[in-house]
Amino acid sequence: MASSLAWSLPAAWPLISMTETDSRPLTRLDDAALVEECLAGTAGAFDLLVERYRRPVYQICYRFVGNHEDASDLSQEVFLRAYRGLKNFRGQAALSTWMYRIGVNVCLNRVSAKKPLDNTTNEPVEAYDVEDVRSDSPAERLLREERSARVRAAIAQLPDKQRATLILRTYHEMSHQEIADVLGSSVGAVKANFFHALANLKKILDASHT
Amino acid sequence: MHLTPDQLVDIADGTQPESSAPHLAECAACRQQLIDLRAMMAAATDVDVPEPSPLFWAHLSSRVAEAVSAEPARTGWNWWLRVATPFALATAAALAIAFVATTRLIAPHTTESPSGVTFVAERPPLPSETLAPEVTDPSLLMMADLVGNIDFDSAREAGLASRGSAEHAVTHMTEGELQQLHDLLQHELNKSSD
Repeated sequence: MASSLAWSLPAAWPLISMTETDSRPLTRLDDAALVEECLAGTAGAFDLLVERYRRPVYQICYRFVGNHEDASDLSQEVFLRAYRGLKNFRGQAALSTWMYRIGVNVCLNRVSAKKPLDNTTNEPVEAYDVEDVRSDSPAERLLREERSARVRAAIAQLPDKQRATLILRTYHEMSHQEIADVLGSSVGAVKANFFHALANLKKILDASHT
Repeated sequence: MHLTPDQLVDIADGTQPESSAPHLAECAACRQQLIDLRAMMAAATDVDVPEPSPLFWAHLSSRVAEAVSAEPARTGWNWWLRVATPFALATAAALAIAFVATTRLIAPHTTESPSGVTFVAERPPLPSETLAPEVTDPSLLMMADLVGNIDFDSAREAGLASRGSAEHAVTHMTEGELQQLHDLLQHELNKSSD
C-alpha cells in the first residue's frame, strides 16, 4: 500500500522516503544501496532509480528506433524488465551497465522485428563534419536536420551489434570495456564492430549519394 | 604492414596518439581510412536526440509506476507461499471441523446387528473435555459444541445428510462398515485423548 501511494505522488513532489535500515533519505544513496532498498520493498526506491536513468534509457531507445512514441514505449519496457530482474542483479557490474544491457536487448528485439527506416537523401559524405550550430539560420538548421535524418537512417541499417556499439560509444561515451560488458563480448570484438560500423556507415551514405 | 582496425579505432577516438603509429606517415591508405573514420564519427555525433517535453519525464515515470504496480509480487517462491498458505489453513480447518462434526454425529448412535450383537459407540465427553489439548481455536470449540448433540435425524432434517454427502454415506453404511468406522474413530479419539 505504501508503495502504491509513493507511486501515485506527482513527480514534482520532493522525494523524502527514508531507507528501511536507517534514516538517510533515499536520494543520498548510491545505485547499489538503492537497489538493496528496492529489494527490501522501500517505498519510492524504484521511483528514484527510474528518475536517475529515465533520460539515458530514453535516449538509447530513441537512438535505436528514431521516434518518440516507440522510444517512450521501449523505455517503459526497459524499466519494467529492470524491475522484474532486479533480484538477479548481483552488483558485479555497475547498475548503469546493467540498465544499458537491458536497454540494448529490448531495443534490438524491437528493431529486429521492424523494417529499417529509409529516408535517405543525396548529399556528399564530405559534408558530415562537426559544425558550430549556434548561429544556424532556419535554412541551415533545416539542412542539418535533413542530414541528421539521413545519418540516423543509415545507422538503422547497420547490423545489430555494430549499431549497438556505435550508439554506446558515440552517444553514451562508454569505454570499449564497458561496451563489451553490456554486449557480452570482448574488447577486441567491440573495436572491430566499431570499425566496421563506421566503415559501413560510410558505404551506406556514399551509396545513397550515388 | 597496414594498421589493424583496433589500431585505427584507438587513434580515431583518441585512445592512442597518432605518434604511436609511425606507419601513418608513410601510408596514404591508412591515413585515408583514419580520415574516413573520423568523418563518420563526426557525422554520427552530430545526430541529436530531440529533447522531449519537460512533462514527458514525469509522464514516463508514472507509466512505469503503473506498469510496475500491475506486476505480481517481486520475490520468487514466497509469492506462492503467500497465496497457498491461506488455502492450506482453510483446508486444514475444514478437515478438522469435519472430523469433529463426524465424530459427534456418529458417537451417540447405537446399532443392533442382525446377529444380535449390539455395539455401542461410546459417547465421547463434551467437546471442552475431549478435544485434543492443542485444539484451542474458539471457532473449533464452538463448532464442536454446536454439533456435539446432533443425531442423524436432526442432521438429515437440517440438510446435512443429503444424498452424496459424507453424512449420507455414513448413515447408509453396512454394519461391517460401521464397525470399521467405529474402530477407526475410537482409535482417533483415543489418540487425541492421549
